[in-house]
Amino acid sequence: MRLSPYLAFAKKSFLQKSAYRFNHLMSILNTIIRIFIFWEIYRTLYGGRTEVDGITMSMVTTNFILSLGLEAVFGVDDYYLPNRIRDGSIATELLLPVSFHGRMLAGNLGNALFQLIFHFIPAFAVTVLAIGMEAPASPLVFLAFLFSALLGYGVLFGISFLMQMLSFWLLNVWAIMTIKNVFVNVLSGAMIPLWFMPDWMRGIIRFSPFSSIYFTPVQIYLGQLSGREILFRFATQGFWIAVLLAGGAVLWKKGQRKLVVQGG
Amino acid sequence: MRVKNDTMHLAGVYTKMIFRSWFQYKVDAILRSLAVFCREATGILVIYFTLTKFDNLNGWNIYELLFLFSLLFVTYGILIIFFTGLRDFGGTVRNGGFDRYILRPRGLLFQLIFSNADWFAAVGHGGLGILLFLLSAGKVGVVWNGITIGYYIVTIIGGVLIQGAVFLFLATLNIYLLETNSIKELFYWNARKFAGYPISIFHKAIQFVMIYVVPFAFINYFPAQFLLRKEDMAQYPEVYMYLTPFVGVGMYLLAYLFWRKSIKHYKSSGN
Repeated sequence: MRLSPYLAFAKKSFLQKSAYRFNHLMSILNTIIRIFIFWEIYRTLYGGRTEVDGITMSMVTTNFILSLGLEAVFGVDDYYLPNRIRDGSIATELLLPVSFHGRMLAGNLGNALFQLIFHFIPAFAVTVLAIGMEAPASPLVFLAFLFSALLGYGVLFGISFLMQMLSFWLLNVWAIMTIKNVFVNVLSGAMIPLWFMPDWMRGIIRFSPFSSIYFTPVQIYLGQLSGREILFRFATQGFWIAVLLAGGAVLWKKGQRKLVVQGG
Repeated sequence: MRVKNDTMHLAGVYTKMIFRSWFQYKVDAILRSLAVFCREATGILVIYFTLTKFDNLNGWNIYELLFLFSLLFVTYGILIIFFTGLRDFGGTVRNGGFDRYILRPRGLLFQLIFSNADWFAAVGHGGLGILLFLLSAGKVGVVWNGITIGYYIVTIIGGVLIQGAVFLFLATLNIYLLETNSIKELFYWNARKFAGYPISIFHKAIQFVMIYVVPFAFINYFPAQFLLRKEDMAQYPEVYMYLTPFVGVGMYLLAYLFWRKSIKHYKSSGN
């Protein structure tokens, strides 16, 4: 497989992103304010206590900075396929001598790289200076965190990939995408650190892919997991990526046979 | 009298048309309302789960917080029946649709309001607001009598007017600026995400914005204080609990004057 066309797609989406400077500045400010507000809410909830259930305030801060920061980087385009089915351009794209899925991933990765450099890093610098955070438990743990975050991206991409395939059957996927995002937001740990979920909810979350997205990398970063547990989590993340992508691929095959493009 | 009847009739026709176009795809229409409901419930779920671990937030228990949130959703549910046209006004100006409104022999605001009502989002938001109210109203120690019910109704109207004024003001800005979405995103949508929490927990700068710039505090926090009397009210002037209707009417009048003055300067983006 030649990689160069995919690099070109990634570069294109990277450059596209840089065209809207004012909007981008606002979205960085948005992330900073969100982290800050969650921090204030938890500071009030802690009310001077040093720890709750063995979790210190500084671990909570770290959770929000990392997961909301990663959320800004991860932003997978849920409408990549739906938009192309809607306007009919899917027909010509399928004729191109490059893999549609490869192109989809490349476009999203280009975007993620842009967000990492120009969104995550400035937002991270400002919030860490203002409210501080935990240092990674060790250099090795930090590398494991990076790898796990990459797998987390894979899981989020997999969820979006699977859901996007539904647009072969539905006229409008806005409603189900919105409901999907509710699940991601509540169960991934981005808006509520999963340590504080009621036990019965944690039981459910354990068997879902959502905690693999942000919470697993955060736990690794904080040194909450032993070496063996880390390997087990990597396997869990890999398992979800495989299941979600395979499910998506099956629907893709079925959907393609069903695809009817109206005009063009 | 004839003119008034005609206006009511036209408003009715517009509403019927909106329902028809929505119900062209029935399943999608229902799914959309449900999706709006779920999306808006995200913040509620988060606060609910959080308070199963921590039993209060600055002295507010879960029912009091749900009550605080309910005011936000009930007012927004009513708001988007009347002000969707203004919320989406930027797009109308950019695609030249506003020029069509100008050519018609009816008031501009009238057309913007009645031809754009978003009933399905209203069901999603308003339904959630009513549900939260029903869950919490009996458990927050409010005695529901003539005075409190009257106060509640006036508060809702005031809250709708405050947000309506913000939309009208931002819509008017579109006449001068081509792009106002980022300003709206920052000052309205962002602020709204946190407006469900008691503002006393936030940094002074954020409180300032919520009280004096985009006065969300008058939509839910201060009115809820009148009904609930929590301790954290001590740091604000007591009179703020009675200002909601005045802030609402005042802001709306100012926004309306700004609109009337600016509309004379309107130049089409042309095409």
